Amino acid sequence: MARSTILIADNSCMIRKGLRSILQNLENSEVIQLIDNKEDVCGIVHKRKPDILIINPDMLPGDCLDAKREFFNENKLSLILLSNKKNLKNDLKADGYINYMDGQNTILDMMQEILNKNNKSSFPDKNSETISSREKNILKHIALGLTNKEIADQLFISIHTVVTHRKNITQKLGIKSVSGLTVYAILHNLISMDEVK
Amino acid sequence: MRIKKDMKLADVIQLNYMLIPVIHRFGINLGFGDKTVADVCRENEVDINFFLQLVNAYHDKDYFPKEELQTIPVKNIVNYLKMTHSSYLNDKLSEIEQKIISLQSEDTEDQKYILLIRNFFEGYKSELTEHIMHEENVVFPYVLAVEEIIKNQNFTERNREIFESFSIEKYEEGHNDVEEKLMDLKTIMIKYLTPPANSTLYHTIIQDLFKLEEDLNYHSRIEDKVLTPKVILMEKSICNLI
Repeated sequence: MARSTILIADNSCMIRKGLRSILQNLENSEVIQLIDNKEDVCGIVHKRKPDILIINPDMLPGDCLDAKREFFNENKLSLILLSNKKNLKNDLKADGYINYMDGQNTILDMMQEILNKNNKSSFPDKNSETISSREKNILKHIALGLTNKEIADQLFISIHTVVTHRKNITQKLGIKSVSGLTVYAILHNLISMDEVK
Repeated sequence: MRIKKDMKLADVIQLNYMLIPVIHRFGINLGFGDKTVADVCRENEVDINFFLQLVNAYHDKDYFPKEELQTIPVKNIVNYLKMTHSSYLNDKLSEIEQKIISLQSEDTEDQKYILLIRNFFEGYKSELTEHIMHEENVVFPYVLAVEEIIKNQNFTERNREIFESFSIEKYEEGHNDVEEKLMDLKTIMIKYLTPPANSTLYHTIIQDLFKLEEDLNYHSRIEDKVLTPKVILMEKSICNLI
């Protein structure tokens, strides 16, 4: 299962680092970056594409706040607000809330709930890490050096479907590059070594 | 822990052995006894300020020397990065390659699979080399020209041409792709291959790949956290100049 990635944005370094050390107790997740500057938030979120953004509302850029839903939907991320204000829930809508006064277990339980929810929606069959025969067929074509368009044409499916299959294959095998996938295909006798250009 | 100039260099290395190749690139050899960081830097004519920022950026991934980094000449940073590049190209990559080749010369039935690994590594090597050449031939001349423009507060014709042909933003974009192949190679060797008879050598290669990856990450942190922000600042002030 892929690890969920987390960004933490707050202007206090004690909060950022403290929260990161608490979140180390979570399985299958990783805090990939801490943000201390309001101006960097948008850029870093777009670049790193985290699964979860934990942010102090003071750090939300003004233009993002207006277009908040759009901004977060587009990036498919869960938003968790982090603050010392008690009535935050009433003011801003988010997937979760952390108050500075919350205990470690409260925070971890809330995070775990969000992680479970996210994993359920993106991995319907998280037990099957092996690739399906359909995916094997696509993988074979990738390994032969065909482009997405060529694969789509040959198999009479849309490019969009090819891209989705590719994403699933990469996720299941843990291999991203074409040459890596080719090696996998040869090792598993999907193609022979002579077929590779 | 922040590394400071009055610490013993030996203690610094005990703290993080990954710094051994880093100090070596500055021309500093081991065997410095109880000398402090400042002593060793003075003896080797290394800029102490630059040295401290660099080892701290290597050592602590959250370290971001905002104020200090403006004081270091880009030329020093570029020189250091070039030394790192040549250590990759001349030493590290060929060491791993040699190990893979000797794995291949073992008398085993898995020959075919080792060949796959070897070809894959060759592909990675040429990609990394290409990336490095791009930095040396395009990015570094560009940042050096930018620094010169700032220094003279004026454009020579050639510098203007270089300045207009590139921007550091373009560099930031293509920075992550090279790591992908290295990660794939590790994954394949760990998950999908049965080790050949000489499993010790096979294991060493995997460990080498992990170390190479770690070192490359350190390296790109210098590029992303020290060099790039500095150049972005300089670009802005050049735009004001125009």
